[in-house]
Amino acid sequence: MSARTVSLEDLLGRVVHDVEGRRIGRIEELEAEIELEGDGNEYVVTRFGVGRWGPFDAIASGLFVQQLVRRITRATSYVRYSIPWDRMDLTDPERPRVTCAERELARSGDG
Amino acid sequence: MGAVHLAHDVLDAQLVDRVQEKIGRVDALLLEIEAGRPPRVATIVIGGAARAERVGRWFVAIRRAWRAMFGQREEHVSRIPFDKVRRIGDTIELDVEERSLDSEHLERWLKEHVVCRIPGAGGERK
Amino acid sequence: MKKWGEVALGVVTSIGGFLEVGSIATSTQGGAEFGYRLAWVLLLGTLSLGFLMEMTGRLAAVSKRTYADLLRERFGYRFFLLPLVAVFAVSFLVLASEIGGVSIALQMATGISFSWWAIPVALLGWALLWRGTFGIVEKGTALLGLVAIVFAVGALKLHPAWPAVGRGLLPSAPSENRARYWYLAVSILGASISPYLYLFYSAGAIEDEWTIEHLGVNRVTAGLGNLFGGLLSVAALIAAALVLAPRGIRVDRYEQIAMVLASPLGRAGFVLFLATLCITCFGSTLEIVLAIAYMLAQGFGWAWSENLKPGKDARFAMSYTVVLLLAAVPIAIGMNPLALTNVSMVATAASLPVTVIPLLVLMNDGDILLNHTNGWPSNIALVIIALLSVVLLVAALPLQLLGGG
Repeated sequence: MSARTVSLEDLLGRVVHDVEGRRIGRIEELEAEIELEGDGNEYVVTRFGVGRWGPFDAIASGLFVQQLVRRITRATSYVRYSIPWDRMDLTDPERPRVTCAERELARSGDG
Repeated sequence: MGAVHLAHDVLDAQLVDRVQEKIGRVDALLLEIEAGRPPRVATIVIGGAARAERVGRWFVAIRRAWRAMFGQREEHVSRIPFDKVRRIGDTIELDVEERSLDSEHLERWLKEHVVCRIPGAGGERK
Repeated sequence: MKKWGEVALGVVTSIGGFLEVGSIATSTQGGAEFGYRLAWVLLLGTLSLGFLMEMTGRLAAVSKRTYADLLRERFGYRFFLLPLVAVFAVSFLVLASEIGGVSIALQMATGISFSWWAIPVALLGWALLWRGTFGIVEKGTALLGLVAIVFAVGALKLHPAWPAVGRGLLPSAPSENRARYWYLAVSILGASISPYLYLFYSAGAIEDEWTIEHLGVNRVTAGLGNLFGGLLSVAALIAAALVLAPRGIRVDRYEQIAMVLASPLGRAGFVLFLATLCITCFGSTLEIVLAIAYMLAQGFGWAWSENLKPGKDARFAMSYTVVLLLAAVPIAIGMNPLALTNVSMVATAASLPVTVIPLLVLMNDGDILLNHTNGWPSNIALVIIALLSVVLLVAALPLQLLGGG
């Protein structure tokens, strides 16, 4: 199994779909933690933060616009999912897919 | 130990070396993806080429042309394994020496060939 | 005790820093053409700048990072390029204008044409930055800049009708020469609210190692310093209104501005005008080029500090060296200093959104500012300033074409 190298910037802002082809949002953040096996100083990604802005989602791919909109509008249509790494399929890094349906995802507290 | 937010806390963060001197920012962060395993945070990249790529291919082309004008063809980019990270806070401390970083090439070159040829440039603090 | 010394220094720096070639030129042009009626614009600009400086100072004191640092860290490299390019381009124009201000003052003092002075002035500035520390640059220009008080003295000696001045401090719109009036309003705002000012202030807070304990000092420095500086600009406007307007003199050359102080104060006024022009513009030259170098270094993560010898921050030192020498070129090749100043002021006004709007995000971010995020008064002020900046962006080009002398 070969490993691919992907730049973080290439993942941020990518639109994520679920198994049913529904668009669930864009990758906004990656959470990483230290893996305790091996030397104990390897960081691995544990969760993906995926957010959807409703009507703004089409333009909200830039970090600046996201943050500005977030501050100004308490957008009630903002939805944020925290997706464990094993539910994110990155075989095509340009088209990340979640390995389940949207309804099975846990919503995250932040927004 | 809490989770590290890669976009918020790592990307574009200020990097410092073993002696707390500034050595650039995280211009790119490389992840290794292998099926069945969590993505590994592999490499910190420092350098103008990495920054240019974030803007777009057109910018990379312009930059290459601009540098070619000055006879610069070689890229000075540092790729630092993420396990060199000592601490992540307001800045990210790396267990490296500034001397070993290719991305600091311009700093060293300017210091040797221009700055130190002008009186009053040497020493630590003013 | 030391804190109050810092407050005093900060206030004094702001006074001297506020008055420079842009505010001298735009305030006197405003006074010459519209009497006291543009005074409210100076008030608006002064208040806006005070709020912006307090905020970028607070950012630095609490987060230990400058505004430029945070622009890169919070918004990413791609977004950062926008304010970087805008600030660089606009500040470069203002920098060239300041060199022009010093050069013109020297021409008036010696008779030697201004274009010959550009390079020597730039070299002197460079030498001070190369060898001096931040403290020397800050304190030196602050104390010498106090000579600008001569504008207040001159204005008082002309016995303005204070009720009329008071009316000028209230917003008004003219019934004729509308394009020219609003053009001057925009340039006054560009002279007052310059991005290099609050960027430099933020970097200065880090150079001076401010902490959360300095938040009170920050508020007083940003508030009082700009208030006094603004008053000096109003004084210049008043003096021009009383000396130039009655004679129907529209300001085309810096020599005419000298009349504003020569008339009430005679030869001493003329000499002090030259000293003020020379010193305040020179101080601003140093401030602007440092602001540009700071933004480059902080954005790219280089080592930087005016307190380090150039050998320890070579890229930073070479940045201010190259930019300063390049900025001397327009004046050295004979460009009209006053025309350059006028254009750079309007360009500054138009560039404001990219450095004002990000503050809406940063000043409300609890991660950065802990429990010192904006209260609602600051946020209301910031929203108003942000809206103003957008209006200026939209209006700048049309007004430059319709109202630019």
